[in-house]
Amino acid sequence: MQREVGTLPLAPALRARLAAAGFQTAQELLDTGPCGLSKEIGISREEALEALQVVRQECHGHAARTAGGSGTTRKCTALELLEEEQTQGFIITFCSALDNILGGGVQLTKITEICGAPGVGKTQLCMQLAVDVQIPECLGGVAGEAVFIDTEGSFMVDRVVDMAAACVQHCHLIAEAQPEEDHRKALETFSLENILSHIYYFRCRDYTELLAQVYLLPEFLSEHSKVRLVVIDGIAFPFRHDFEDLSLRTRLLNGLAQQLIIIANDHRAAVVLTNQMTTRIGQSQSTLVPALGESWGHAATVRLIFHWDNSQRLATLYKSPSQKESTIAYHITSHGFRDVQPPAVTPSTEGTELNPRKRPRTEEEKQ
Amino acid sequence: MAAKKLRRTQLSQEMCERLSRYQITTCQDFLCLSLLELMKVTGQSYYEVQKLLCKVSQACAPKMQTAYEMKLRKSVNPSSAFLSTTLHPLDRVLHGGVPCGSLTEITSPPGCGKTQFCIMLSVLATLPVSMGGLDGAVIYIDTESAFSAERLIEIAANRFPTYFDSDEKLLHMTRSIHLYRELTCCSVLKRIMSLEEEIISKKVRLIIIDSVASVVRKEFDTKLQGNLAERSNFLTRGASVLKYLAEEFSIPV
Repeated sequence: MQREVGTLPLAPALRARLAAAGFQTAQELLDTGPCGLSKEIGISREEALEALQVVRQECHGHAARTAGGSGTTRKCTALELLEEEQTQGFIITFCSALDNILGGGVQLTKITEICGAPGVGKTQLCMQLAVDVQIPECLGGVAGEAVFIDTEGSFMVDRVVDMAAACVQHCHLIAEAQPEEDHRKALETFSLENILSHIYYFRCRDYTELLAQVYLLPEFLSEHSKVRLVVIDGIAFPFRHDFEDLSLRTRLLNGLAQQLIIIANDHRAAVVLTNQMTTRIGQSQSTLVPALGESWGHAATVRLIFHWDNSQRLATLYKSPSQKESTIAYHITSHGFRDVQPPAVTPSTEGTELNPRKRPRTEEEKQ
Repeated sequence: MAAKKLRRTQLSQEMCERLSRYQITTCQDFLCLSLLELMKVTGQSYYEVQKLLCKVSQACAPKMQTAYEMKLRKSVNPSSAFLSTTLHPLDRVLHGGVPCGSLTEITSPPGCGKTQFCIMLSVLATLPVSMGGLDGAVIYIDTESAFSAERLIEIAANRFPTYFDSDEKLLHMTRSIHLYRELTCCSVLKRIMSLEEEIISKKVRLIIIDSVASVVRKEFDTKLQGNLAERSNFLTRGASVLKYLAEEFSIPV
């Protein structure tokens, strides 16, 4: 109630007039009432009423927040956070080595960034995740929908069809091995058409469309409350050309990162971004580092770097708050993103997807 | 989309005039400002500014489509999804041929046959759909002056002797291949920017640029400091325009 007038979200002209008239705290405004206010600072009664309503809303919202109610700032103890995190879902990637180093898969409510050279498999992983997020809960998934924002145009529907078909087949095989009532019910809705209809695709041609889309995302997510994954494929591409003003670029990227964090937290969704690599020319050698600069590195919670090593694809966990840094190898098959098969496995066992190594979590989840 | 004038969005007339006093006329300018700056410029309260932001965003945000709709659209006319190269192993690996609607890059050391491949693709694109072609014109942007019309006719006559049995058919084919010789980066970029109208008027179904690397390497020496940024600027700008053309008209580039 003792809030200063200058901090209220009113129009600047109105604020200037209030300051000139000598008002200092919000309480004074509320005490004066709309008629008095309109006479003192020379605005119409309707405008005065509107301003008072804004002030009242702000003060009440503020009071509710300090009482620990639901608001934009939440206070909770670490124990509550621990319980929340343990029930947190993960989006599996079908590559158990990658899931292991990530601590279970791509985590919800966190921003994961995938960096890599062109052609190493970033878009493949994104498409795989867009399919995997829809796996029903009884089979180890989060049963959500996916939003795919594409800035590079590398989204191939046929490839998603292949991956989705392989995923459906995999789930059917598991359900056959462990027949249960809810498995069968879930599989009825888990079909190719359903998977494809729940991937919402946006094609942004430049950074203005990307900014506009991210502004509109919270509304979209409230309408489609089952969305659990937001993929932005190619966040670097629209920002890397046509930008003379680097400080504007940093500011826009930071604003984007903050909005994505809010979206991830409020809607319990995982946000996955893909980034390009750029060459940093050092004293005697040049190294490949993620693009968009150092300040962008703070935006993502988890950072994966994909790179090549003599025709073997490797993934390195570069930055993570809870897991340690490690590197694993992965494969991209016609079914999608997979583990590297150990050489002892003969080709005939490739088809049996009942390999328990690949689905360690079904047992854990059911408990 | 970015250059869309604010006048054409849902904003009121007086708001647009007020913003234009601060030199904010397009959606791009509007969305680049932070909320506080917007409040100062529009003179509105915080919540009003958020509503304005939503309106402007809706005006330039892309349309949503589900993956299922995209698949349905593709399956409606499957033949137009690829340009078959008539080299069957290559087509098998590429899942049908050169994909329509995206960029394909062909790289190799000199002398391997890139320009020959491009010339053959131009012939294929002019063939009618029944023979596996795209039945349309071709835009060929040549930066190395390596295109030879005689070789074009030789390929056409020897590869499809039954189709090109008359001079008339050969003439028709050569008339649908539009060759542009560009020798500098600037002119290549200008040519790419101007392609949109030509594609519509001439019913173009294939764009070939032979080659991007030669003109870039000639002009930008990577040892000089500022050149690297300029070079990547030029390349990404060209790439995004080409991607837009490929997707918009569903043609291979």
